[in-house]
Amino acid sequence: MASEERTKEILNELHKAVYEFEEDDAVKWAKIALEEGVDPFAATMDGLAGGMVEAGEAYNNKEYFVPELLMCADALYAGLDLLKPAIEASGRKAKVTGSIVLGVVEGDVHDIGKNLVKMMFEVAGWTVYDLGKDVPLDRFVEEQLKTGSEVVGLSALMTTSMLAMPVVVKKIREKNPNVRILLGGAPLNPEVMEKFGADGYAETAGTAVDEAINLLKMLKEEEGS
Amino acid sequence: MADKKGTMTDRERVEALLRREKPDRVPIWPFAYAGFATVYAGASIAEAYNKPEVALAAQRKTAQDFGWAFVPMLGYAAYGGWELGGEIKWPSGDFAQAPTVARFPVETPDDVMNLKVPDVKTAGIVPLSKQFYDLSSQERLDNEPFNVMSFGANMSFTLAGNISGPDKLCKWILKKPEAAHRLLQLANEHIIKLAEYWKELYGVEGVLPLGGEPTSANQLISPKMFAEFAMPYIKEVNEKFLELGYKHLYAHICGEHNANMEYWAQIPMGDPGIISMAQEVALETAAKYFPNDIILGNIDPAIIQTGTTDEVYEATKKNVLDGMKLSQGYVFSPGCEMPPMAPIENVKAMNQAVIDHGWY
Repeated sequence: MASEERTKEILNELHKAVYEFEEDDAVKWAKIALEEGVDPFAATMDGLAGGMVEAGEAYNNKEYFVPELLMCADALYAGLDLLKPAIEASGRKAKVTGSIVLGVVEGDVHDIGKNLVKMMFEVAGWTVYDLGKDVPLDRFVEEQLKTGSEVVGLSALMTTSMLAMPVVVKKIREKNPNVRILLGGAPLNPEVMEKFGADGYAETAGTAVDEAINLLKMLKEEEGS
Repeated sequence: MADKKGTMTDRERVEALLRREKPDRVPIWPFAYAGFATVYAGASIAEAYNKPEVALAAQRKTAQDFGWAFVPMLGYAAYGGWELGGEIKWPSGDFAQAPTVARFPVETPDDVMNLKVPDVKTAGIVPLSKQFYDLSSQERLDNEPFNVMSFGANMSFTLAGNISGPDKLCKWILKKPEAAHRLLQLANEHIIKLAEYWKELYGVEGVLPLGGEPTSANQLISPKMFAEFAMPYIKEVNEKFLELGYKHLYAHICGEHNANMEYWAQIPMGDPGIISMAQEVALETAAKYFPNDIILGNIDPAIIQTGTTDEVYEATKKNVLDGMKLSQGYVFSPGCEMPPMAPIENVKAMNQAVIDHGWY
């Protein structure tokens, strides 16, 4: 069992490995964490995820751009691949903030933004059901019903594919009016989001989680009133 | 749409700007080559790319019906993936806008190092583009300032991203810069062969090389990365085009490039160049960095797709009034491709705003 000081050092190294996108270091320190008996849950949340949160802040401040975030994500997932089995074996479960169905709508294959959003939600403790790209519209409805997710996130990069969004919004509302729907992508803005009948708009991957949390709060307030 | 006050044809308007003279009215030259034109003409979006005769007829009809400058073009934003050895998927269904790369030619840095640039004459869409330009170069109408708008200039970084996938190029910039640079060299090798091929076929008179740069926008990469990995390669290609005798180059600087502008300003665009900025960059900013080049308008295409006719009219009017203040010349256009499914009444409202307010 690592001492408190050593644990702190290991968590810092995991944090640094992700923030500085050093995938090999993330693997190395994840192995050390397991070997030295550091709680894999703490290694994930306080180490790896902490580094990703800082990277997200750097992205919002325009110190990091997509290349850095993608590399940070690679380091995060490399470390996570080692720590996840240990967390599952421990039976410990993360406190789930919420769950979201995510995907790029039919007709569109541009998924860099969606993948970054996915990672941000995972880091924030959400359960993410990622449908991928070029997703047939009914799949969003089916997956939301199957998983009971509170939020559905739709992404589109083109002015043609964004026209799929109001269709999905309508389909989801017909089946479950309480679901909150978040839109993102280059041709979107708050006005278009409202015209499409959705609930929230995420300008960047960095703001998507905050926007979803706000939507969840509103949903819970409405359900409580 | 009637234009009774005009004393110039659309060709004359653009040609006046190219001579650095004022036209009678702001010309309308929207980026409506592909899906908008074919859908308007009753064909499919895919036919904008894979049926040269249909595409040309659709572009000609659309420009004539709406009173726009007609500059025929057959190309696509994902250019490079198919051309360098991958596979393409044509747009299909209700929501796809353009061809996409179904399989990238390279997966790893080793693939990049082993990649050879294929024969340009048979590469990807080039034979279809040739069929298109063989036809378009046979005519020059009075709304046609150029009759061949060929791919190649101003697109090195995006082309490289289309060979590897933009996510891989982004990662290699940081961790495998030698692979990123090699990919960009290969992109330029292909483009330069393409420039020479188009010149051999069509000469330089009436030919306008163009390209778009969405992948180097600041939504993806930093200005520092642009300076190292985009600017030198685009500059090399543009210098080659100008050396070959092309007089004007068209740049669609797609997405949010504000922090890249000081580097774009170092890239030669011809005399004058034709600069199309996305809506994220203000017209004044474009004019500041390109003081000797023609600036295209940049209303948000999403407004044309989702706005009311009044919203479209007002956005266009504002853009036109701002653009007319630019001393170097202004052409009205949306900030990116005209949405293929744009409501026709909105397109008419856009036109009307130029016709009502665009007179010098």
